[in-house]
Amino acid sequence: MKSQALQEMIKKVFSDEKTKLQFMSNPESVIAQFKLTEQEKTAVLNTHARLGLATADSQQLEAIIEPLSNWL
Amino acid sequence: MWQKRQFELLRDEIAVALASLAEVADLQSLVRQPLSQPRRGLAALSADGRPWPLLPLIVCEAICGSYRHALPAAAAIQLFMAAGDVFDDIEDADSSESLSARYGPAVATNVATTLLSLAEKSITRLKDRGVADSVIVRVTDAVNSFFMSACAGQHLDLSLSSDIAISEDDYLRVVGMKSASQVECACHIGALLANERQELVDIFAKFGHNLGMAAQITNDIRGVTRGSDILEHKNTLPVIYALTQAEGESRKQLELAFRKPSESVADPTQIRDLLFRIGAIHYTTIKTEFYKQLALDNLSEIERHGTSVERLKSFLE
Repeated sequence: MKSQALQEMIKKVFSDEKTKLQFMSNPESVIAQFKLTEQEKTAVLNTHARLGLATADSQQLEAIIEPLSNWL
Repeated sequence: MWQKRQFELLRDEIAVALASLAEVADLQSLVRQPLSQPRRGLAALSADGRPWPLLPLIVCEAICGSYRHALPAAAAIQLFMAAGDVFDDIEDADSSESLSARYGPAVATNVATTLLSLAEKSITRLKDRGVADSVIVRVTDAVNSFFMSACAGQHLDLSLSSDIAISEDDYLRVVGMKSASQVECACHIGALLANERQELVDIFAKFGHNLGMAAQITNDIRGVTRGSDILEHKNTLPVIYALTQAEGESRKQLELAFRKPSESVADPTQIRDLLFRIGAIHYTTIKTEFYKQLALDNLSEIERHGTSVERLKSFLE
């Protein structure tokens, strides 16, 4: 199901430099401003821990997504 | 190594199914081709070590400690999926390597139909493995229901493919029906053949759904990062997100790149960079992580029922 709160958070991080910097130094303080579910919070923090959410490039993404894409 | 042994037994089971075509060696050879593709049951173990075709056997063994009686069902799922691959290629007509492109749609349609019939016959071989008739009926019903859902999802996908304004909810619904249903089916059938507890069957089905959603959304990301979905104007989750966020020139660029039918070919690098700048790839990566998290929650619930989930966790790592 679509998550309005998650969409709003990503939009804010990617359109507002101040929020992006805040997210990079303290992601939980930005997450707290949006009504994310527990699983969404974990997903954001996991992605950030593995990639650096606001800074990842395509090569870093390729490296982590490849293994799941083999069956379908 | 347990995977190697299970793969050998699965290949043997598929070989039994194909033996009924021995009198028409040419057809048998054609039917083997989609089953030998990298992610299917006759292929070598994939390089990443994730044994997708064994999923029903792994689920079954995790619950009841044995899996051999489930081999005909695992073979049936491979045959159904191979049929789906061939039909997909006929419908999409986007691969010069497909059976349809090399031998024509008539031959390819016949190969796909043969694979469907072999799949149904495989399920009946559960009887030879001592599976009760009542369970075979439930397996037959479940497999057909899941693949009917995949067909309905494919229909929606074809119907919506020219609609650039598709919503995320509609898209996730299509993915759930068309793609995740196949992984859900594998887990559901494995659990069904291991026990009579509907509650556990249901949790495994949810795990399969969430794993399947994560896998398909991962494919969406790969399609964009590699550029193939941009060249084919495929309107997948990163694009759907981007279209809800982009304004002005960026939005115009996206509409031009993904509108169908389109004669224009967008520069994949330019569009990919735009999707990165907007955060669309990152949003989609979080969605993958979200479904993986749901699948992990399902595994925790399964563990509380006393079932070992170690091998299943490896699909999410």
